[in-house]
Amino acid sequence: MIATFKTNINCGNCIRTVSPVLNALDNVESWQVDIENPDKILTVELDDQDVDTVIKSVESAGFEILLID
Amino acid sequence: MVKQFNVLGMTCASCAVSLETYLKGMDGLNSVQVNYPNQSIFVDYDEEVANIEELSNKAKEIGYEIVVGQNKEGESLVSTVKASRESLLKRRLIVAAVFTLPVFVISMFVMDRSNSLNQLLFWLSIPVVFYSGSEFFVNAWKRLRHGMTNMDTLVALSTGVAFFFSSINTFTDFFSNTITQHGGIYFESAVVIITFILLGRFLEEKAKKKTTDAINSLLNLAPKTASVVINGEIVDSPVESLLKGDLVIVKPGEKIPADGRIKKGETYIDESMITGEPVPVHKSKGDTVLAGTVNQNGVFRFLVESAGKETFIADIVRQVEAAQNSKPKIQLLVDKIASIFVPIIIVLSLVTAVMWLWLGPDPVFYYALINAISVLIIACPCALGLATPTALMVGIGKATKLGILVKDANALEALRTVDTIIMDKTGTITVGAPEVVEEFWSSSFDILEIKNALVSAERLSEHPLSKAVVSYYNESLNGTCKITGFKNLLGLGIECYANDELFHVGNHKLMTKHNCTIPDEIESVYANWVKEPRTVILIAKNRTVAGLLAIEDQIKEDAHNVIDNLKSKGINVIMLSGDAESTVSHVSLKVGISNYHAALSPTDKYNFVKQLQHEGKNIAMVGDGINDSVALTQANVGIAMGSGTDIAMSSSGITIMNSRLVNVSNAIHISKLTSRTIKQNLFWAFFYNVAAIPIAAGVLYPINGFMLSPMIAGAAMSLSSLSVLLNSLRLKVKK
Repeated sequence: MIATFKTNINCGNCIRTVSPVLNALDNVESWQVDIENPDKILTVELDDQDVDTVIKSVESAGFEILLID
Repeated sequence: MVKQFNVLGMTCASCAVSLETYLKGMDGLNSVQVNYPNQSIFVDYDEEVANIEELSNKAKEIGYEIVVGQNKEGESLVSTVKASRESLLKRRLIVAAVFTLPVFVISMFVMDRSNSLNQLLFWLSIPVVFYSGSEFFVNAWKRLRHGMTNMDTLVALSTGVAFFFSSINTFTDFFSNTITQHGGIYFESAVVIITFILLGRFLEEKAKKKTTDAINSLLNLAPKTASVVINGEIVDSPVESLLKGDLVIVKPGEKIPADGRIKKGETYIDESMITGEPVPVHKSKGDTVLAGTVNQNGVFRFLVESAGKETFIADIVRQVEAAQNSKPKIQLLVDKIASIFVPIIIVLSLVTAVMWLWLGPDPVFYYALINAISVLIIACPCALGLATPTALMVGIGKATKLGILVKDANALEALRTVDTIIMDKTGTITVGAPEVVEEFWSSSFDILEIKNALVSAERLSEHPLSKAVVSYYNESLNGTCKITGFKNLLGLGIECYANDELFHVGNHKLMTKHNCTIPDEIESVYANWVKEPRTVILIAKNRTVAGLLAIEDQIKEDAHNVIDNLKSKGINVIMLSGDAESTVSHVSLKVGISNYHAALSPTDKYNFVKQLQHEGKNIAMVGDGINDSVALTQANVGIAMGSGTDIAMSSSGITIMNSRLVNVSNAIHISKLTSRTIKQNLFWAFFYNVAAIPIAAGVLYPINGFMLSPMIAGAAMSLSSLSVLLNSLRLKVKK
């Protein structure tokens, strides 16, 4: 499934910080943050329905994250 | 605290010994090791008592500079200094040769020289002595201040004395009352010695440069850029910017840029450069990949765990460098002799002076001075500089003809003393490439048809073992079946239709998984074969197994003979391998090695070598993989197989280009011949000069009034050089 989140991943440096945690997730096929968008939309392509692990990991890296759909 | 620094100003192996000895006694210094080929120093010091500035100042006292701070600037400074050392030597040698030739010709062929001709010799000698020969005087002076002598001292003393004595006789008549023959002019003696010894040093420097360049290139195994997924896009970024946790994509044929763990995808990876194992390894999710290894057929993504200077390969390089420091130093025969010879000559010269003062005719002082000087002039054999390099060059040429590449000339000199040879298994004792060694076919099938299908199918497979099968049958079969529905079953084998018949080729697991019946006859052969360390491939037609093949990394044909031969020479042969116990014991039994160790890591191999050295053994290590490189460096002599990895060759003084094991014993034989020639050369280099010492000291004077003349000095010079050259050339035809 494709899940989208609203975050405060603002800049290239934030992406650098969040990369290891998202890369390490087993169920994440690919992900991308649109930092041009005011809501800093994170789009994640998941192998399963498990959005909670994504939320937890991003929070653990010190960012705010809110599931949109 | 242990630290490594680069050192500037070391020109020969004995400089390293001298710097080490000089620093050893310093307060707060626990240990110090100087690495000559790498031009660096390893110090273990107590920070509270000693500091690096003090150490560096102390090194400066005897003419060496320790480059404090290992920044990039320091590194580039070292490399420019290294490069300029070679070009400086070259310039000095050319100047020396150009001016020496006329001096030599005039001195040898114009016997009755006018004073103006002698003045011409003086002017021609000046650039040779003061420009080309300056390093001998500078080095000798620096060392003398601390009561140390070496070959430089001998050269500086003889040439300096010869030059000044001759100059005095050219421009004044200070000694003229006492000199009867030829006016005591020895310019040619001074300049020829300098030219010959510079020639020897230049040859040595050229040989040394190659080794250092090779070490510098070790880290280039990993690629320069990586395809990193950054924010959903694939970006080509330099490996230096890779961080832990980055996701990297690797395509077929690419080198892996960092160490890490596979996240998605599966593939075969050629890790032979690290493990020495010829067969690529199957890797899938969760498996570790290493920087510098080569991806074969699959695309995969992996998470970076360590990159740049933290990778396994970088760690090996660091260990290789550390091993260079702890490696036992080879004491060169020439330095050994020079260090004894110099004090003896000085004493002899003093004794001569005393004897003439006591017993000599009037004017006592002049005679004493002239004869003491004569002893110093005649003492330095100009062939000394040629003795070692010419023998080594002929020896190296002899070795090259057999396919033995000698990179570090000192290694050839050291090989003769080896009493223990440690061999790696894969690629050293074995061929290093898998081959089909046995086949078995059930009689109830049309074997030709099956073999044909097998070859046709294997041609399409990317599996590393398929190459062995194709090359085995290639001559007898053309493999022209029409293959359809080809499926690569990773970790199992292949499934396909050949001329519309269903075939399975692969391991035992494939047959059980795909419900192929295995007849009892085949099953028993299989059970027998797998007892040995080989890979067995089964072939099934229409889900019934028809036959099987055994593939094995074969032992080299000459292995057993060579090992027996080495043992008969009293050399202890030991095998070390990273492979499993069962494989290693099987091979050791076949080649007749009773002492072997299996399942060793690179560090284990290194420690093993060090332990034996500690017990006083002289070790040659023979290997081909990265896993051998630390041990290859630490061994007294490292011998690499040409079929192996670059890093192994860089870590070794000797490389066997054609990978024939018999060349290990050939190399030892050539080393013995070469060392014998060096010893003979040193004898001939010194012989005529030593024989002339009594004449120089004036022993003949009471009998016939004869004293040293330039003719005797010239004769000793020519005879010793000629003897040395001829003796070295004789090595060429020796068996």
